[in-house]
Amino acid sequence: MTMEADRHGLEHEEDDKGGASDEHSAHVGTYVLGLALATLLTIASFWVAKTHLIYDPGIPMALATLAVAQMGIHLVFFLHLTTAPDNTNNILALAFGLLIVGLVIFGSVWIMGHLNHNLMPMPQLMQMQR
Amino acid sequence: MFGKLGWDAIPLDQPIPLIAGAVVMLLGLGMIVWVIAKGWFPYLWKEWITSVDHKHIGIMYVLLGLLMLVRGFIDAIMMRAQQAMAFHAGGYLPPEHYDQVFSAHGTIMVLFAAMPLVIGIMNFVVPLQLGVRDVAFPTLNSVSFWLTATGALLVNVSLLIGEFARTGWLPYPPLSELRYSPGVGVDYYLWAVQISGVGTLLTGINFVTTILKIRAPGMTYLRMPMFCWTALASCLLILAAFPVLTATLAMLTLDRYLGFHFFTNEAGGNAMMFMNLIWAWGHPEVYILVLPAFGIYSEVISTFSSKPLFGYRSMVAATLFICIVSFCTWLHHFFTMGAGGDVNAAFGISTSIIAVGTGVKMYNWLFTMYGGRIRFTTPMLWSLGFMTTFVIGGLTGVLLAVPPADFLLHNSMFLVAHFHHVIIGGVVFALLAGIEYWWPKAFGYRLDERWGKAAFWFGLVGFYVTFMPMYVVGILGMTRRLQHYDVADWYPWLLVSAVGILILMGGAACQITQLVVSFLRRHELRDTTGDPWDGRSLEWATASPPPVFNFAVLPQVQDAEAYWDVKRRAREAEELGGQPHYAPVEMPRNSPTGFVCAFFATLIGFALIWHIWWLMIVGLVGAYATFVVFAWRDVPEYVIPAEEVERIDRADRQARQEALSGAVTT
Repeated sequence: MTMEADRHGLEHEEDDKGGASDEHSAHVGTYVLGLALATLLTIASFWVAKTHLIYDPGIPMALATLAVAQMGIHLVFFLHLTTAPDNTNNILALAFGLLIVGLVIFGSVWIMGHLNHNLMPMPQLMQMQR
Repeated sequence: MFGKLGWDAIPLDQPIPLIAGAVVMLLGLGMIVWVIAKGWFPYLWKEWITSVDHKHIGIMYVLLGLLMLVRGFIDAIMMRAQQAMAFHAGGYLPPEHYDQVFSAHGTIMVLFAAMPLVIGIMNFVVPLQLGVRDVAFPTLNSVSFWLTATGALLVNVSLLIGEFARTGWLPYPPLSELRYSPGVGVDYYLWAVQISGVGTLLTGINFVTTILKIRAPGMTYLRMPMFCWTALASCLLILAAFPVLTATLAMLTLDRYLGFHFFTNEAGGNAMMFMNLIWAWGHPEVYILVLPAFGIYSEVISTFSSKPLFGYRSMVAATLFICIVSFCTWLHHFFTMGAGGDVNAAFGISTSIIAVGTGVKMYNWLFTMYGGRIRFTTPMLWSLGFMTTFVIGGLTGVLLAVPPADFLLHNSMFLVAHFHHVIIGGVVFALLAGIEYWWPKAFGYRLDERWGKAAFWFGLVGFYVTFMPMYVVGILGMTRRLQHYDVADWYPWLLVSAVGILILMGGAACQITQLVVSFLRRHELRDTTGDPWDGRSLEWATASPPPVFNFAVLPQVQDAEAYWDVKRRAREAEELGGQPHYAPVEMPRNSPTGFVCAFFATLIGFALIWHIWWLMIVGLVGAYATFVVFAWRDVPEYVIPAEEVERIDRADRQARQEALSGAVTT
């Protein structure tokens, strides 16, 4: 993930060549900060995976949280998602995407989990086959 | 060398596909030879095949859609004939062929007839209505079209080489898994839909960007014509839904090609997941089709009622409401799959709720007509036919949305009648109305009204005679996709349905005659002013057909009905607005990228279907090389000098000035 972050940073730097120089350095600053945060989160996920410091069954949840945070860092520092007025479309697109992904994932899990509802419980089924 | 492909792939023992395929091939080859012999090929290449002009791409989309509509209609005729003959008999189609016919009918009608027609009209109309010169990514647009054409080509190739899927238009596993469908039919389906799906997704990206980012100066969101709003909602749905389709079909592909077990019966696979995911795409898909159709009706009804659209803002709200809620109803396609009461009830309720959005629209159209001076032209007749037909179709839909009722009617002919009712009555009527309505804009002459009205009446009556009996046999217990049957009660109704399709054939004949007659009479039907219907939105502000740059000067929008506003002021002042200041126009250069890409995509698709791995590699390398060559292009645009723009615009202004002074004196 840090590799990817690196690559993003480089690409944008190249894109922004020819911009005003102080703006340029400000950009480098945000990229470096983003890179540091992304690296930190990556290291944290590797650490969480192995640690015994947190409740073991909570580890997947911790990894998921770190992954979501990582996405947030990428969106803000590398894809320049801000709350500025010129970013309304991007925010709306993100919100729409999250809503649809949420609907489809939540719906699918609910539907698939519910499928066995009308079936006989497994032990009883085995009883009948005997 | 040729993978699974051998001489046995050609169905020499089956006369129907063999003769049909041979005729289509001869016609196609004949067309190519004719075009080359007449010396039209350079024109075709420069103006159409490599064109990145949204108007030309739109027209090509519509042409593709109409061709596929005819193909799908022929499948429909074959099915109605089969069921009319198959009472206590085998009919004339063997089961394995009949299964391919209904699968091809559904696939072609939804993905290769309705989608290209909807996207084609969007392509032609949206930039004109927004008052801009092209879409956001013109070359990408051409790539989209040619990839869609690739998909359509692959489906039709299956007629002569190999076979098509026998699984229905959605290839439900486990039937579509390798064990039960070992042939290439499902593979044809998968690759054709995947390749054209990429094209559709690119269209979605292109139009969302266009509508959000490039509009004429002054055109705020709430000044956009209704059709642009529905196109935006439809494209948002494309963006959200088509990746689901791609992923689902990719999983099925992995199952079939690499021995995965996503949807198999063994090794932990779950076929139910396929139904779940495919309908998570499939339900939004019907709104991808019907929302632009609603947009077309809004334009047509407002124009021919000579009134602004009633409740514009509520229409926008209803459109966006449908856009979101269409993602909350997909389970109603499989109520019977075994989910419990809570799940079925929730989705039943959401399905009933989505009808509210459509109800709002219906009332808005009614109130638009109320008190208006209605002109009963052909597009208006189709719209009125839609309003009655769609309400009945919608009511049967609300009935099917009730889970207990659905348990009785699931996958019966009642369902078949219902979705044809809403798709034909909603989408196809709109497309015919839209083609009729925007034809003068595209080609500079109106279509013949007499033949158009004949086509409408044949179409409307034929539709009811074909599909109403299906509700009856559905309630009498007939399931869909039956190759033969022994129930005497169904027989007379299926005969009526076969008569209906004869009437529909009459309608199709009138429609084709209309095109021919109008072309022959094009000089008397000429639209000189660019505004044949007394229109209200910006596409009527430019000449018919529009110049390559659409608008000599980008219009300044000051009202929700941009062109009506301009016209009103011109009529009050009895003269056109002041002589505009012309500037040179930059237009994107034509590019064969789309065509070449699609050529290689065809190779890739064909090679994957028949397991010809070297050809697949050739195709992939070729497609990537095409992309690299395009990316290296130095000069993406050319400039039309201001004098040229002025010269072209002067003729249009003169015609309008004459029409204006004519209108004022009379």
